[in-house]
Amino acid sequence: MKSTDVVASPEQHGGDGSLAVETRGLAKRFGANVAINGVDLLIPRGCAFGYLGPNGAGKTTLIRVLLGLTRADAGTMSLLGHPVPKHRDVALARVGAIVDEPRFHGHLTGRQNLQVLAAAREPAARSRIDASLERVGMLQRADDRVSKYSMGMRQRLGVAACLIGDPELLILDEPMNGLDPAGMHDMRDMIRSLVAEGRTVVLSSHLLDEVQRTCDAVAIVDRGNIIRQGPIPELLAGTSLTLQVDCSEPDRARSLISSTNLAATTIDVEGDGLAITLPAGTSRDVFAEVARVLVTGGIAVYRLEPVQASLESWFLQVTSRLGDTA
Amino acid sequence: MTAASDGGAPTASPSALGPTRDRRGSPIPTFSMIATRFMELRRRRGLMITLVLVTIGFPTVFLAIRLLLHAVAPKTYGPAGGYDIYTAMSAGVLYTFGFIVAATLGCTAGSVDLAEGMFRHLVITGRSRLALYLARIPAGLAIIGSLVAIGFAIVCAVCVYAAPSKLSYNGVTVPAGLSQSGLQTWAADNAATVVCNFSYDGSIAGNVGCDNRPGQPPSVVTQGPTGQLVPASASQAKAAATQIAQQDYQQYKRQFRYPSNSLMIKTGLWLELEATVGFIVGLGLGSLLGQRTTAVILMIVLEVILTPIAVRSRIPHFINAQRGIVGVATGHLEPGQLPLAFGGGGRDYRLTESTTTAICVILAWLIGWTILGSWRMMTRDA
Repeated sequence: MKSTDVVASPEQHGGDGSLAVETRGLAKRFGANVAINGVDLLIPRGCAFGYLGPNGAGKTTLIRVLLGLTRADAGTMSLLGHPVPKHRDVALARVGAIVDEPRFHGHLTGRQNLQVLAAAREPAARSRIDASLERVGMLQRADDRVSKYSMGMRQRLGVAACLIGDPELLILDEPMNGLDPAGMHDMRDMIRSLVAEGRTVVLSSHLLDEVQRTCDAVAIVDRGNIIRQGPIPELLAGTSLTLQVDCSEPDRARSLISSTNLAATTIDVEGDGLAITLPAGTSRDVFAEVARVLVTGGIAVYRLEPVQASLESWFLQVTSRLGDTA
Repeated sequence: MTAASDGGAPTASPSALGPTRDRRGSPIPTFSMIATRFMELRRRRGLMITLVLVTIGFPTVFLAIRLLLHAVAPKTYGPAGGYDIYTAMSAGVLYTFGFIVAATLGCTAGSVDLAEGMFRHLVITGRSRLALYLARIPAGLAIIGSLVAIGFAIVCAVCVYAAPSKLSYNGVTVPAGLSQSGLQTWAADNAATVVCNFSYDGSIAGNVGCDNRPGQPPSVVTQGPTGQLVPASASQAKAAATQIAQQDYQQYKRQFRYPSNSLMIKTGLWLELEATVGFIVGLGLGSLLGQRTTAVILMIVLEVILTPIAVRSRIPHFINAQRGIVGVATGHLEPGQLPLAFGGGGRDYRLTESTTTAICVILAWLIGWTILGSWRMMTRDA
């Protein structure tokens, strides 16, 4: 692991069940292509965990390995404290997952598809079908054939399929795909409510804004490696800060700021103002100093706003840096 | 989607439900798994319509037309039942098509979870993949077994209740249930009819034959001293008819006005065996290949092309391999009163093999394909 652990370092955890997911040195290759390259991943229980990465980074492969859909070439892993694949059946009994696009038997209704899946789970799963359908807002359409469902409805049915097992751990691969804005809002709320109930949700998504709003912690994977991992506030705390300044005479304002000894990384003229990039951890006194320099220099300041880097900008920054070094 | 807890089980906090209580690692499928698999197959409307049409529709329509024609014109059209109808429908239609529809259902059951994306959902439940595979066997057999049973029951019902009042052998009305001596006596009394209608393999003593020239009634003749045909004497004709009857008795003995209970039970079991083999092999092949179309084509090729060739031909140094084909083995178990399932013009082309060998071959196919199919399912990436 190359960055901050979500909870602690791997050495501090001995598979005592306090982690929802734990992998050590997990590797998987398809011929010459390395899909997962010695991944150490620690996901604590009871949080929403985002799993991010560019296309082809190995996100879905890791999920497939965790769920026993494909075999790992090396490494160890456990789900909910149970080593996998040795105790895969016990571990998966409390796991619900959507991997890739959720697909079902099109000739069956949503309810019948859930009956097929419930039959493969514990006997109590069948009694949870209606509640699961209601929770994802599909109860009214439960008796329609799945072939008539939209993509978004199939996503909801996929979540319902996860819920019939009363899971402690949900692994959702791109659950927002096909959802309209209201559906995405509902999904976000539902994920937060699941976490509030003490469940763990692992969310793989390209929608970084949604991940930032939904998740407590993230891991970024690229080329089979986890390159960053930790709580979102901690990860973003290490990123630069941009001070947006709306003012008169932006060019002269830039010269004034440049002539001071402020530790600005870059100063760019953007429209009717400046964008001043400051190092992580810059204090509020620096903002006041910028305002003082400009006003003293006879420049009218209309707005001055510090903007923290978003997860999306941080993600692009991290992944583009990797691209530069490749 | 509702964020708030609704009181149903999924909204409750993660419980301490013992996951081992449902024994999902066990390879034995639960009744619930079998029942839902049955439902999944039964609700494939197009497939089920096809299966019903072939196994029940064809025999029903064919027999209904014969019943109707016989009712309208009984002198022109014979009864709907009888030996020929029973054997053609059971050893012909239901045997071959029963295998093909069973194989189609098996290939479907073996491949659709993968093709339709449900396999992944099922694997994620943690249930043993072997149990997932084995659940398909009773579910599929319940469907195909019922269909074949219904189709065969219709054939039996028509053949019993619309049976001819007399036995027709080689187009001649013959008393049913005669002993060999009884048949020979009857033949002697109806010498011209027997000599001119019954089949005979070989030469008849005294060069007796049938003069069946157009415009003249058939008569029994023999060669005169100068080679011309002359009417046979009564004793010559009786001797010839008796000789023919003696040879034909085995063939005559197999024929009936309506099938006996014993024959119907044997035939029914034999047809169910053939359907079971078709389903199990199709299931294994479908699972192995992971797709239905190719598997169905291969199964049809096996039943319609390879098996008849293997049954009828003797390939040097390949006889044991021919015996290893499952259709040859099931053909060997065919009830004795039925004609060869793959035709043969009244001759029995079957390879000689013991019943034990045939049973071993069938078991090997059933077990072997189940192992292959389940192995592929257990090792396949989902």
